[in-house]
Amino acid sequence: MVEIVRERGEIEAAKEVDVVTTGTFGAMCSSGAWLNFGHSDPPIKMQRVWLNDVEAYTGVAAVDAYIGAAQLSETRGLEYGGGHVIEDIVRGKEIEVRATAYGTDCYPRREIETTITKDDLNQAVLCNPRNAYQKYDAATNSGDETIYTYMGTLLPNFGNVTFSGSGVLSPLNNDPNYETIGVGTRIFIGGTQGYIFWEGTQHAPTKGFGTIMTVGDLKKMNPRYVRGATIEKYGVSLYLGIGIPIPILNERIAKTAGVGDENITTNILDYGVPRRDRPIVRKVTYAELKSGKVEINGAETPVSPLSSIKRAREIATVLKEWIERGEFLLSQPVERLPRDREFKPMKQPFAVPLVRDIMTREVVTARADSSVESAAKILAEKGFDHLPIVDEENKLVGIVTSWDIAVAVGKGKKKLSDILTSKVVTASEDEPVDSVARKLEKHKISGVPVVDSKKKLKGMLTSEDLSKLIGRRRR
Amino acid sequence: MTRKVLLRYSRDKAEEPILASVIRQTDVPINILHADLGAKGGEILIAIDAPEDKVEKTISLFRELGIGVEEIKKAIELDKDACIECGACVSLCPTGALSLTKDYSVELVEDKCVYCEICVPSCPVRALKLRKF
Repeated sequence: MVEIVRERGEIEAAKEVDVVTTGTFGAMCSSGAWLNFGHSDPPIKMQRVWLNDVEAYTGVAAVDAYIGAAQLSETRGLEYGGGHVIEDIVRGKEIEVRATAYGTDCYPRREIETTITKDDLNQAVLCNPRNAYQKYDAATNSGDETIYTYMGTLLPNFGNVTFSGSGVLSPLNNDPNYETIGVGTRIFIGGTQGYIFWEGTQHAPTKGFGTIMTVGDLKKMNPRYVRGATIEKYGVSLYLGIGIPIPILNERIAKTAGVGDENITTNILDYGVPRRDRPIVRKVTYAELKSGKVEINGAETPVSPLSSIKRAREIATVLKEWIERGEFLLSQPVERLPRDREFKPMKQPFAVPLVRDIMTREVVTARADSSVESAAKILAEKGFDHLPIVDEENKLVGIVTSWDIAVAVGKGKKKLSDILTSKVVTASEDEPVDSVARKLEKHKISGVPVVDSKKKLKGMLTSEDLSKLIGRRRR
Repeated sequence: MTRKVLLRYSRDKAEEPILASVIRQTDVPINILHADLGAKGGEILIAIDAPEDKVEKTISLFRELGIGVEEIKKAIELDKDACIECGACVSLCPTGALSLTKDYSVELVEDKCVYCEICVPSCPVRALKLRKF
C-alpha cells in the first residue's frame, strides 16, 4: 500500500486497493479472560479462586471469574502468571482450580479443588480492556545502572533502545481517524475472529495513542498468537496477536494507510528518570527503530523491537488469506471510536514531595586529603553518619560513613583518600522521594548525597529524613 | 571451524605466560572471549580458528603445560519453536551473536557468543537456554 500511494498517489490507490490488512504481536498486559466453571454439587459461590495458583477475580456471580494477564502466581513468582494460564487454557492443558467461599443458604459449599481443561468451561472469552496501542514511546536509560521495566531490560548510559508496536503494520495507525475501526469491527484476535467492543482504556486519540477493547472466543484461539510471557524483574504478561482489516473507502483512508515507517514518528523516552512524564531523549521514526540501530548522543545504539515484526506480518497475511477465501467478512462499525478523548493523570490528594523539599542543605563535607581523625571528630560532633567528600569546586568525589571511620581506625588507616567510597549512589533535587527510597533499599544504604548535573553537592538525603516524612504523611 | 575451549588455571599456573608461549609454538590465532583470571587462578574462554590437527596440537600443548582444558561444544541454544521473534534479546547482546535478520527472524551465531548470559532471563518465553561451563 505504501508503495502504491507513493508511486501513484492516494486517488489511484483508493480506486485500486479494496482492503489493507494490518497486524501486531506484542505484550498486551491489559488482557484477560472471563471463565465460567459451571455449578458444583452442592453449589459454591466462589469468593476467591485460583487457577494454577494464579488468583482470578470472582467478585461477580457464583462461578464466573476473570483471569488477568498480569496477575502473578502465588508460588512461582514472575515465572508464571495469568498470561501463562491463558496460554495453557488455549493449549488444552489441565488447569488446577481452587476456590474458597463463605457459604450461604443457597450456596453452602465453602471450598472446592478440581482440574479443568477448556472443554470443561462453559465460556472462556478473552476480553481485553486495552489492546493494540496505535503507537508507543520507545525507551532508553540515561542512568548508570541497568533497569528492568515493562519496556524490557534497559542497559545503563543509553546502552540500548527498546520499542513496541509494528509501525506501518499497526492496526490503528492505518486508520487514525477511525473511519472504519469502531464498535463492532470484526478483527483477527489470537488466531480466531473476534470484535472491537469499545474504545480501550487510556484511549488518547488526540496524541496518536488510540486503543481498543477487544473480545474473542479463547477456546478457538491458536497458541501461536496467544503466549504467556515473563518480562524480566518486572512481571508477567500476554503476547497477543491482533489484526484489523482496513477497507479503503476513500482517498483519505488510502492516504493514512499509505504512510510508511519513515513518516511514522514516536519519541524515545528516558526511563532512567522514574517519573510519569519522562524526558524525551529524541524523536525517532519507526524506519530508524526497525533498522536495528539508532543514534543517541552521537553513538550508534542497538535496538530491540519487543513486539514481533515478523509475526505481525504473518497475522496481516493470514487475515488477507481469510478475506480472499471468504472466511472473514468485513463489518461496518455500529459506532465510531471517540476522537477527542484525553488521557488524564491520576488525581492525587497531594503531590509527592521531591528530594529538594526534604533534603538537608547544611552538609558538612571534607576533602580527600583530610585525616581520618578530623573526619571522626566532625561526625561525632555533628551526630551525622555520612560525610561527603568534595573537591575544591564542591564536586562530589566520594563518601565516608561512620562505619568506614570505625574500620579505618581499627586498621590504622590515616587518610580519607584511603578509605572513601568513590562509586557513590546519588540523587538529584527534582527526583521524587519514593525513587530515592527505592535506591536506599536496593543498595542497602542509609543516605545519598544530592548532586546537580555537574556533580556539585547540593545536600544530603538520609533514611531518617524519609522516616520523618512518612510520620508526617500518616498524620 | 572455530572451536571454543575453556582453560582452567590452577593457582600455581596463574602467573606463567602460558597463552603467549602456546601461540608462539603453534602460530595459531587465539581469540580470548572471556577471562576471569587472578593470582589465585581462574578461567579463560578462547576461540581457536584453525585446521583440526592444529587445534588438537594446541589443546594438547595446554594440557602438557598443566592447564585444565574443556572444549565447549554447544553452550547456548535458541529454541526456534518457542521463540516468538520479539527481538528483546538482540539489543542486549554485547557481541552481535543474537541479531534480527532481514525478515525479522531472531538468529543466533554461536561462534560470536561469549556466554555473558544477559539474554537468557531477558527472553519473555524462555526460548534461550545456556549450559553452564
